[in-house]
Amino acid sequence: MLKRYLARRLVIAIPSLLIASVIVFTLPRLIPGDAVQLMLAETSYAKDIDELRAKLGLDRALPVQYAEWVAHVMRGDLGESLWTRRPVLDELAHRLPVSAELALYATVIALAIALPIGVLAAARQDSLADYVARSVAILGLSLPSFWLATLLIVMPAIWWGWRPVTGFTDLRQDPVGHVVQLLLPAAILGIASAAALMRLTRGMLLEALRQDYVRTAQAKGLAQSVVVVKHGLRNAVIPVITLLGTQLPLILGGTVVIETIFGLPGVGRFLFDAINQRDYPVIQGVNLLVVSTVVLVNLGVDVLYGVLDPRIRY
Amino acid sequence: MSLSRREMLAVSGTALVAAALAPAPARAQTPRRGGTLSLRLWDPPGFDHMLTVSYKTNIPLSFTHSRLVKPKAGPAIQPGTFPLEGDLAESWSQPNETTYVFKLRRGVRWHNKPPVNGRELTAEDVKYTIERFMTVKGNANAYMLRAVDRVDTPDKYTVKLTLKEPNAWFLDILASPMAVAIVAREAVEKFGDLKKPEAVIGTGPWMLDGYRPNVGYTFVRHPAYFVPGLPYIDRVDVTVDEDNASRIASFLAGKYDLGWENPGIINRTDWVQIKDSLRQKRPNLKTAEFAANVMSHISMRTDQKPFSDVRVRQAMSYAIDRQGILDATAEGVGIFNPPGVPAALKEWSLPVAQLGEGAKYYKYDPKEAKRLLAAAGYRNGFPATMCFTTYGSTILVDSMELVVKQLKDVGIDTKVDQKEYGAYAASCLIGKFDSMTYGPQTPFLDPDNFINQYVPGEPKNQSQINDPVATDLIVRQRRTFDPAKRREVIHELQRHLAKQQYYIQIPSGIYVAVWDGALKNYGPNVGYDYGGRLVAAWLDR
Amino acid sequence: MSTTATIDLNGAAPSPTLVRRGGGAKRWARALARFAVRKPLGAIGGVIVVAMLVMALFAEHIAPYAYDETIRGARMKPPSAAHWLGTDNLSRDLWSRVVYGARVSVTVGFATIALGIAVATAIGVSSAYFGGAYDLVLQRVVDAWLSFPYLVIILSVMAVLGPGRLNLIISVAIIAAATNSRVIRGAALTVMQSQFVEAARAMGCGHARIILRHVLPNVTATVIILATIGLGAVILAESALSFLGFGVPPPYPSWGAMLSGSGRTYMFRAPWMAVWPGVAISLAVFGFNMLGDALRDVLDPRLRGTR
Repeated sequence: MLKRYLARRLVIAIPSLLIASVIVFTLPRLIPGDAVQLMLAETSYAKDIDELRAKLGLDRALPVQYAEWVAHVMRGDLGESLWTRRPVLDELAHRLPVSAELALYATVIALAIALPIGVLAAARQDSLADYVARSVAILGLSLPSFWLATLLIVMPAIWWGWRPVTGFTDLRQDPVGHVVQLLLPAAILGIASAAALMRLTRGMLLEALRQDYVRTAQAKGLAQSVVVVKHGLRNAVIPVITLLGTQLPLILGGTVVIETIFGLPGVGRFLFDAINQRDYPVIQGVNLLVVSTVVLVNLGVDVLYGVLDPRIRY
Repeated sequence: MSLSRREMLAVSGTALVAAALAPAPARAQTPRRGGTLSLRLWDPPGFDHMLTVSYKTNIPLSFTHSRLVKPKAGPAIQPGTFPLEGDLAESWSQPNETTYVFKLRRGVRWHNKPPVNGRELTAEDVKYTIERFMTVKGNANAYMLRAVDRVDTPDKYTVKLTLKEPNAWFLDILASPMAVAIVAREAVEKFGDLKKPEAVIGTGPWMLDGYRPNVGYTFVRHPAYFVPGLPYIDRVDVTVDEDNASRIASFLAGKYDLGWENPGIINRTDWVQIKDSLRQKRPNLKTAEFAANVMSHISMRTDQKPFSDVRVRQAMSYAIDRQGILDATAEGVGIFNPPGVPAALKEWSLPVAQLGEGAKYYKYDPKEAKRLLAAAGYRNGFPATMCFTTYGSTILVDSMELVVKQLKDVGIDTKVDQKEYGAYAASCLIGKFDSMTYGPQTPFLDPDNFINQYVPGEPKNQSQINDPVATDLIVRQRRTFDPAKRREVIHELQRHLAKQQYYIQIPSGIYVAVWDGALKNYGPNVGYDYGGRLVAAWLDR
Repeated sequence: MSTTATIDLNGAAPSPTLVRRGGGAKRWARALARFAVRKPLGAIGGVIVVAMLVMALFAEHIAPYAYDETIRGARMKPPSAAHWLGTDNLSRDLWSRVVYGARVSVTVGFATIALGIAVATAIGVSSAYFGGAYDLVLQRVVDAWLSFPYLVIILSVMAVLGPGRLNLIISVAIIAAATNSRVIRGAALTVMQSQFVEAARAMGCGHARIILRHVLPNVTATVIILATIGLGAVILAESALSFLGFGVPPPYPSWGAMLSGSGRTYMFRAPWMAVWPGVAISLAVFGFNMLGDALRDVLDPRLRGTR
């Protein structure tokens, strides 16, 4: 049963990936102005534009370019940047760990904030504690992250002359410094997604607590805390995992603001710079990576579902 | 009123420079070798300066590469002037108007990196570089050397350049950090082009050592640099820092030895905010002030109605409250730019007050603007659009908002057509727009590249100007080798252009160059030759 | 693919909220009062939202100056009786700009959400209603769309169309459409299982009639809640895009641009230039979220766990 379910999920994932690859390829090419025009900014003589385009292979028909690209990707070659000529795969290998680490810390921080507050808010629905907890969480969400980051970087420097924790330290050079520099940006990201998670936890828990078997447990005289944790939280965890899965594209691509302010060489900035420079191979490579990761993670989440909740049949 | 105030500001600007640059009581200090200098620069969009026009590439390469000639640097040089000296060239002569002969230094060594491996530089390398510069596909700056007809190498240390036509600016072009940094053929052949960091192999004072995108890079001393004993500074640590708030915080905490903006300056808006904090936290900072050579202007389709009517253009100039823009965006400190050549190039540019008949258009006079518009048949003004990109600068955005408001006040109802930079570069920047464009220009160090924007057929001719009088004067100054006479021709051109108002010039700010007191024998200036200004500087700490 | 599964498979009893008709001012007032007592946070949120709407609608009457009016001799003045929130570096009254900024936020927010939710409803409801191959294919496209880094979609669309209010609205609406269509599809699926839809089908009603009369009215609550919370998200998104240089272009005063632009530039000398737009953003986001949460609790217990 579970096997058939998994097979179906896998079959469904493949067309999604294919559709995505077409979007991955065409989207950046719709943007007006290409890398060549940007390279020649200010003095584009027409002759140079056409010649350079031919040199970079941008003059061929789009389907031809697409077929070539897919063929290369199949061989594990994501191409090289039009600007710096660095292989996209190499660059990603350097940057992915930074983004992944940032995402991991941010998620841990988000869960550390969201779960306790969510549980508290649900267990004491419409009490003062519920209001305060939710207000604080949503206030955290309502501060634009670039503003929070600015305040946290600038104010200590002004008041105490602290050297801001910007710039990147390599893990191998200085492991402690490496982790420390990521904590502040991770916290800012974590606070932003904590609100959504908190709300979800609260909602699912409330839902679960209303179920018959939970009521039975309460009727049996089990302590409220035991009921909440044992019956409620277990049911609430599934959607929380789901939400984490759907937040991946947000975290992987959306950290550009934080990466810019804190000077971190992550995937977000790689992508942002590439879009601004019309660096097609880079845009395609990063997008493909993110899209595949998301599809795989969602697949994993679905599998987890199947295991955790036997009622699920898609 | 604004004119007199402007003059006063211009004067006080120069006075400040003079005060800052007056040599301190001569403490005979001997330069010391060693130390690490900390800078903020950028991620270069590739390291091949012939395949990008970006300052983000040209400035880092000023640390690693040499040219035939270069602008002199040091505390004795007045900012805004660029006297030349030999770089790779030991001496040079000009047997006739179209021939230049350069004698190269002997024993110049390339960086000891494969595939060049520290061999000696010869005339062949210079020839190869100039030919590559002129012919490589995708060199947007190739036009700078289009006067070159032939490069000959009579012997290993002699380069002879023959031009198709006389060009009085030729040496200045060779000295420009935007043009011909000498590269090695082997590197191009091995790597295909010079975009990769491994291909950064020059004969300059420092060598690129390790580049991490979005993080930074390091220059280490080139031990075999051709000037014995130089450079004094062992290491230059470069940080890539793309957020202004974090740059401010870093500078306050002492992370950078020089101002974080090009060329080693701090924007006045930031400076005014943090100078008191800096006085406490970094009391030994040194400063100097000089006019910026970045000049913004409104360009417009002068080949179409309504901008084809000179009265409309004059009215627009009257409508702009230049002092008001300086007050709002530059703490009131700045300098009015005459047409053609920015005021910062003070050896060449005519002060606005001396523009003669055209000087009056630089006064703020909305009433006169409305009168001229009415005379041109636009009693109720006209609608227009203004193409714009932010360049990531809030100061530019602020000045644009004021310009739009001021045009609106005289009846030119301007809609902003903001574009993302890439789309802007592919259209408005090269003259493809319908109405108006507002933005800064490339900060050249010579007048010729600036006035190129009045020559028909040039991509920089955003306003689509075709004015035989101007074209004639532009060609004439290019053929006038006597500097005093050339200056006269340029001034005549500027007086002519002031009456025409093909572009509406916006004033430039006065830069605040800032550097750590431990950095000795350093003199700031405009221009991309950051490395050149630091080669003889040293650290006292 | 997963959010949907959560909703309809979590074991919640499907009890579609039926739309009540009829009204009268008294009943409305009583309902409002009851809402305020039961959900004080939601009521606070509601007040903030109404205040913002009033500012947006009557900006000309509320703001003492035009948003681009420069006041001679009033550059970067701190808050005072003459200028409640101070003035900015271009000598403009900040209170006026914040008031006009509400108009920008409201237009951008409402237009984005209206467009996004309309598309989301069309996709979600039709997908749930027709099911089968149509559902399968449509949902694969949505999957692909959702798995993209949002930034890529927004920046690509903005770069294609150029920065501008309308283009900002379109690009953010595309994201809103994809994410919300999942939830609406889930809600519609539940409605589809209900007896009255089956009855309508049995009676031979046409597709259009069933969708318009039975399905749509019963997902309205879901849509209202999604829209309310989405509005807060759009305001935040606009400010982040302003920081990246893709926000509402000048000269329109958007809170995001005021905060990320000159607000940040002059934050040491004139902190009020950053503080007030920042407060406006936070209040608005807070207000929409609180109102949305409360509406969720009241209108649609089924939906309490989504997003």
